[in-house]
Amino acid sequence: MTQSFPVLLAVMAAAAFLCRVAGFTLMRFVPVSPRVEAALRATPLAVMAGITALAVQAGGLAEGLALASVVALTLLLRSDVAAALLGVVVVAGLRWAGV
Amino acid sequence: MTALFSYDGFRRGARDGVPLAVSIFAYGVGFGLVAAQAGFGVGKAVATSAAIYSGSAQLAAVNLLQTGEATLWALFATILVINARYLLFGAALQPWLWQAGPLRAYGSLLLLGDANWLMTMRRIREGEEDRAYLAGTGTPITLGWLAGTALGAGAVSILPRPEALGFDLMLACFAAGMMTAMVKVRADLLPVVVGAGTALLVAHLFGPAPAIIAAGLAGAAVAALVHREAV
Repeated sequence: MTQSFPVLLAVMAAAAFLCRVAGFTLMRFVPVSPRVEAALRATPLAVMAGITALAVQAGGLAEGLALASVVALTLLLRSDVAAALLGVVVVAGLRWAGV
Repeated sequence: MTALFSYDGFRRGARDGVPLAVSIFAYGVGFGLVAAQAGFGVGKAVATSAAIYSGSAQLAAVNLLQTGEATLWALFATILVINARYLLFGAALQPWLWQAGPLRAYGSLLLLGDANWLMTMRRIREGEEDRAYLAGTGTPITLGWLAGTALGAGAVSILPRPEALGFDLMLACFAAGMMTAMVKVRADLLPVVVGAGTALLVAHLFGPAPAIIAAGLAGAAVAALVHREAV
């Protein structure tokens, strides 16, 4: 590796920028039918479920319990942000207790 | 005819972005710690966070640079693969965001991250019309990311590990909460089940990097397949 840091940085920034704009730009040429709209609406739900499932799998009992409590608290409190912050408290508490 | 893009919407987004920014700040501290251990100073670490603005891609890049055998192509490809999910994020935002005009749309995309994409998609579904909302959510998150990086890289020797405080689970907690809040009808459970199952399967077979984009694609595909035109 002989390149200078600014060159490395520029290459990395270009790759990151390409990812940010390419999907958006391509989508300009796709007509948004109701079927495409249904797909786009489902995407964030599937991504969030994926993130949650991977976190449970990578973690252990503490992580699983914390994320389950976030789901329950969101339904109970009707605020996803409050539930998420409480979930962090739950996992910190469980880890501290050695779970 | 361009869509609404006002200071009001920006402020609404910024307010919703603050709790996310807290978690991104902690994640930034984590990246700063790793970067400092790889020999980056505060300046280099913050420049990396500003230029790439994606935690997972930056961690992979720093790991690769540490091996001392990274080529420019390997770096480029690594970031492309890890950030491939942004192709999906951008595509999902396009019908809504494009109406703000090219300059505002592409400008907002610079501030796009996992957390504020999730938040914005949720608000769009609830009827958010102001396209400045996305840039609003991105602003506190960007500030938190850069400040966290600087703190982590600068104070590497005296900080507690963010894991001890549970901050590493913050994004997953937000994902679980927003997912629960977004499920309104029974049909919404289908992408949830498909997304979770696909992520676990792909992570098992190919590792975590492609798992999230696979989850999104599978959820989208199944939703398109079962979609019936309104009768």
